[in-house]
Amino acid sequence: MTGATTGRLREISRRTALGALGAGIVGATVASWPRLSGSDIPGRGDNSLSIAIMGTAADAAARQRAIDAFTRLHPDIRVKVQAIQAVDWKDFFTKILTMVAAGTPPDVVYVATEGAQLFADKLAHPLDEYLRRDAADMAEFFDDVHPSLVEAFMYKGSLFQLPMDWNAANMYYNTTAFAQAGLERPADDWTNVDFRNSLAAMRKARPSDFTPYYWTNRLFGGVVPWLYANDTSFLKETRSTGGDWLWDSFYAKDPSRGLRSGGYQWLEPNADDPRVFETFDYLRGLVKDGLGVRPEEGGGSSLVGLFASNRIGTTPAGGYWVQGLHEAGMKENDYDVAFFPKWRTQRHQFGTAGYAIMKTAKDKDAAWEWIKFSSSREAMELIFPNPVTTPARRSMVNEALYSGKGPAHWKVFYDTLDKFPTTGPIPAPPQQAAVETALMKNVSLAVSGDERQLKQALESMQRDLELALRRQS
Amino acid sequence: MSTTTPRRDRAKQAKPATTQTLKPATPGTSQTASGRHSQRWLAWIFLAPTILGMGLFTLVPIVASVVLAFFRWDIISAPTFVGFDNFAEVVQDPTVRVSFLNTIVFVIVAVAFQLGLALALAVMVQEKMPAWLRTFFRSAFFFPLILSAASVSIFMRYLFNEQFGVVNWFLSFAGIPAVPWLTTPGGSAAVVILVYVWQNFGFSFLLFIGGLASIPAETYEAASLDGATGWRKHTYVTLPLLSPTTLLASVMAIISALQVFDQPYVLTRGGPGDSTRTAVMVIFESAFQRLEFGQASAIGVILTLIIMAITAAQFRLSKRFVFYQ
Repeated sequence: MTGATTGRLREISRRTALGALGAGIVGATVASWPRLSGSDIPGRGDNSLSIAIMGTAADAAARQRAIDAFTRLHPDIRVKVQAIQAVDWKDFFTKILTMVAAGTPPDVVYVATEGAQLFADKLAHPLDEYLRRDAADMAEFFDDVHPSLVEAFMYKGSLFQLPMDWNAANMYYNTTAFAQAGLERPADDWTNVDFRNSLAAMRKARPSDFTPYYWTNRLFGGVVPWLYANDTSFLKETRSTGGDWLWDSFYAKDPSRGLRSGGYQWLEPNADDPRVFETFDYLRGLVKDGLGVRPEEGGGSSLVGLFASNRIGTTPAGGYWVQGLHEAGMKENDYDVAFFPKWRTQRHQFGTAGYAIMKTAKDKDAAWEWIKFSSSREAMELIFPNPVTTPARRSMVNEALYSGKGPAHWKVFYDTLDKFPTTGPIPAPPQQAAVETALMKNVSLAVSGDERQLKQALESMQRDLELALRRQS
Repeated sequence: MSTTTPRRDRAKQAKPATTQTLKPATPGTSQTASGRHSQRWLAWIFLAPTILGMGLFTLVPIVASVVLAFFRWDIISAPTFVGFDNFAEVVQDPTVRVSFLNTIVFVIVAVAFQLGLALALAVMVQEKMPAWLRTFFRSAFFFPLILSAASVSIFMRYLFNEQFGVVNWFLSFAGIPAVPWLTTPGGSAAVVILVYVWQNFGFSFLLFIGGLASIPAETYEAASLDGATGWRKHTYVTLPLLSPTTLLASVMAIISALQVFDQPYVLTRGGPGDSTRTAVMVIFESAFQRLEFGQASAIGVILTLIIMAITAAQFRLSKRFVFYQ
């Protein structure tokens, strides 16, 4: 018994000793090693400037000419573009956050309005110091870009991105459907009542297999343009102070200088505003009378094809549609674009996008050089050779860009900013994803049932928005 | 404790045999012992990659997610210990509660349809069809399972579009007005269940096919001699003898259905309202959209406990309802 115990003890102690030694080595290695991340994988942590854009490998390849031009100017900076496929901007930001969590954040990210404040609040580095330093070089850019687009990237008095492209929610219409219904091109100041009458006329002319108004349930082009036109929103919009350094440097003589601020703020929900109810009730009426569809959540990907198949009368969209419609076979006279209808105001909704430097960027100076180069006319012409979006530079929105593709009234795109200077960005606070979910999940219910269901949906929206804004604040 | 006892027993049993056969050659004994020792090391060496992989990619993430449930963490800032706050907030969150309720309802309806359909088709294919056709249907019914759930859901989204979808186009021939499949709570729930069942019943179908094939023909012959007809044979022979397969199929179907995500996320994004929002969707939204990784982990822990409880209950109940041959 004693001998057996001694033998077993000797065996166990040897194993224990070996195990303890192994565990000790592993433990000591782990403890002494800085946090392992994706960049520790051989080949990942090189010194090139990594730029993340939303899109496919083809989109990354399309930027190659711009990269080549940049490399000629800055041979010491290696640029690597990562195209990240995503359903929408929310999905794209999710993937960027995953890269951050994995320890492989890109140095520069192409961020749209939907994520501008999320990045400004948590992830991005302000451009202020660079703009002050290179003010003389940048003056030409700001001369060519509307200040509303720049203001969308101001956050608490600092500028985090330069707008590269943008799109307003204008109203596309099918010219054949309008003609069949005996309708003329809408006036620039057509109203929501005129709009409804136009839909009714189209419905009368084409009773089946045709949708006079097709819209989707999302942050851009969904219910928000109607809320803006009715001089309200689902979030209370305020402005922060600051930013005078930028406005005084670059927009001192602009007629809208007095309107400019240190950036938009959306701190409180506003779904209980009577005008929000009124707006939803208007849309509910369109659905109820068969003039507009019940919007699906998300959607939008199939919209170009549906519009090009001549089965949609009107839909809100921006300049980004032109190339898609052209490729889908629409001739330039088959469709046209008008301003969004007027209600209490004719304030439009827009979204813009530009590069943000990440706080974690290894070489922020190199990142700024990329942004500065990308904002040049030369680079923007290389990046946007076709009307896949509206370039931020006014001088690039010209006849040549739309020639042979339409629409006839392409000037509507940039005139939206000039004629309606209060036109504002998509409401997207740092809690954008939660806010968007809170909005979207209640829209379908709000416009699908009776007045009681609408009230319940807006109450639910108000609660969800309160919760969304409270989180992370 | 439990592992040392058998090893000791084995050692006791082995010792006399070695002593008897290799009595004159004492070195032989030590060779066998060292051989066994090196075999043990060899086994560990071969097992090491799997153990390491399981440890790194399964065990560590499980432990990490449980630990994370007690922290507030947004990826960007340092995590803060918050005790049970995440669990308290999750329990009070109406969206989380609704999503769990939706998930339970989904599991009940979807699993019932999945198993019912799979069983019916398996019996039909196994008993009524010639061998060549049986082979075809086995592959055909399994085929949807190998497709990407996201791709299938995108495709189905087009089919069920209210205005332009093929489903409503076909229904229009029967005089049925356009059904708002994806924009009403009832319609969207029905489509999510339909798409899920269509894509997943093939797995249960294959399990049932295997189970049916393993029932001995003599049992049916004996039942026939006793005067049992088709339906009675199914009730008193097929179903009882298939019960172990049914248990396996139901356990797997329930675990899978409790984790449903792709179909509702792509088809409806959880809407309209919260009508198709599921537990895993809320985990995803909490973590990657609201950056509340602690809360997401807390929901994950609760969901895991629910899955474990349901599975344990199934196995406990199986003692009463499952018959082994």
